[in-house]
Amino acid sequence: MLSSKPPAERFGEVVLPHLADALALARWLTGNTSDAEDVLQEACLRAYAGIDTYAGGNARAWFLTIVRNVAYTWLAKNRPRALLASGDLADLDELAAGQTNTDDPDGPEAAMIAKADVAALEAAILHLQPPFREVVVLRDINGFGYRDIAAMLNLPLGTVMSRLSRARRLLMMQLGATDEGG
Amino acid sequence: MPTGSMDQRLLVQALADGELDAASALALEQRMAGDAALAAEQARIVALKSAVARLPRPEVSDQFKARIAGLVPPPAAAPAIQASPRRLALHDWRGDWRALAASIAVTAVVASGSTYLATRTATAPDRLISELASSQQRSLLAASPVDVASSDRHTVKPWLDAKVGLSPPTVDLSKDGYSLVGGRIEVIGGRPLPALVYRLRKHLITVIAAPQGTGAALPAGAADLSADGFSLVRWSDGTFTYWAISNIGRAELDDFAAHFRAAAAAE
Repeated sequence: MLSSKPPAERFGEVVLPHLADALALARWLTGNTSDAEDVLQEACLRAYAGIDTYAGGNARAWFLTIVRNVAYTWLAKNRPRALLASGDLADLDELAAGQTNTDDPDGPEAAMIAKADVAALEAAILHLQPPFREVVVLRDINGFGYRDIAAMLNLPLGTVMSRLSRARRLLMMQLGATDEGG
Repeated sequence: MPTGSMDQRLLVQALADGELDAASALALEQRMAGDAALAAEQARIVALKSAVARLPRPEVSDQFKARIAGLVPPPAAAPAIQASPRRLALHDWRGDWRALAASIAVTAVVASGSTYLATRTATAPDRLISELASSQQRSLLAASPVDVASSDRHTVKPWLDAKVGLSPPTVDLSKDGYSLVGGRIEVIGGRPLPALVYRLRKHLITVIAAPQGTGAALPAGAADLSADGFSLVRWSDGTFTYWAISNIGRAELDDFAAHFRAAAAAE
């Protein structure tokens, strides 16, 4: 059903308030702001064209899902290598679920993580494979809850939780290693 | 307990993320009080979360806001005619368009020469041609040749339909080597008309469609209207009159027109 409001007005209400959040997500997925802006522009066009498919509810999640999907399409076209590394997701999830048994059970001290410098942390996040990076970004940068993330990525809740755990584990290890190295 | 430890870690993580209900959180906190390893894990997650949350965020620049605002008509505007055909004109396209930039720059120079020729002899049909030529020239000079960028014809066609109330067949010619770049609105003879943009290698081909009966009478077959420097082919299908304009050669453009007509007829 068409809304009674014109699409441009709905676009203004549903999409525009979330540009900053969307830009942050796109930047973490593409790795830099100018590519992120291109992705976001394309996502805005899609959102505008499909504004009638927004059926109420969490507008931010709706729009950021579009941003995320456009970012992957963009990456597939412009940086296929960035996605290649993802490999078989089933394997990754198995790895994520089983990782605590093989990894060093202790991470670095919390204090060491707390004083990690911005560049090291950013590099560590960008070093994560996209399926792991996106859950960290959606959770800790965009502030979505597990259920929202599961719905946005179309994943079971348990997979979101284990990917998030795996991603954080990798970040902690990276920061601990950086600190020892420097 | 290897499997238990994973579950516990997810539980501790859920606590740090505020995803546990009060009863589970309380139980876990009590357990953590007697388990230094669990407590340390919780502290690590909390430290990491706040470090990530503190990371600088990219600013949405005013320039970018303007770029996005330009994508849609202002809410107050009436849906029809004020087609602002080149809304994206000043926008700084990258990515997909980067590859096109070189060929665009060259074409623009060539096209301006032919525009001059076309304008110089401005009788009625020639005036139409010169308008087509200058619209093509404008689109090549603009940073983006399209107002709606999509390779999905199911996106482009409704967009055009919504903008000008006309939707010519938006055919998928990718198997013939022509990829759909998007659509835009052209104002020809004072009327907003839908335009489709295809890409062949690094060249753009613009197809402008006008509902038939509104323009000059046209022969049914494709007519060659090429001037020097760019090619212009015209044909009609009984519903629309089409002009295809490009800087590719005549023969190649005829080829394109043939593919387009065949695909449109099969729709």
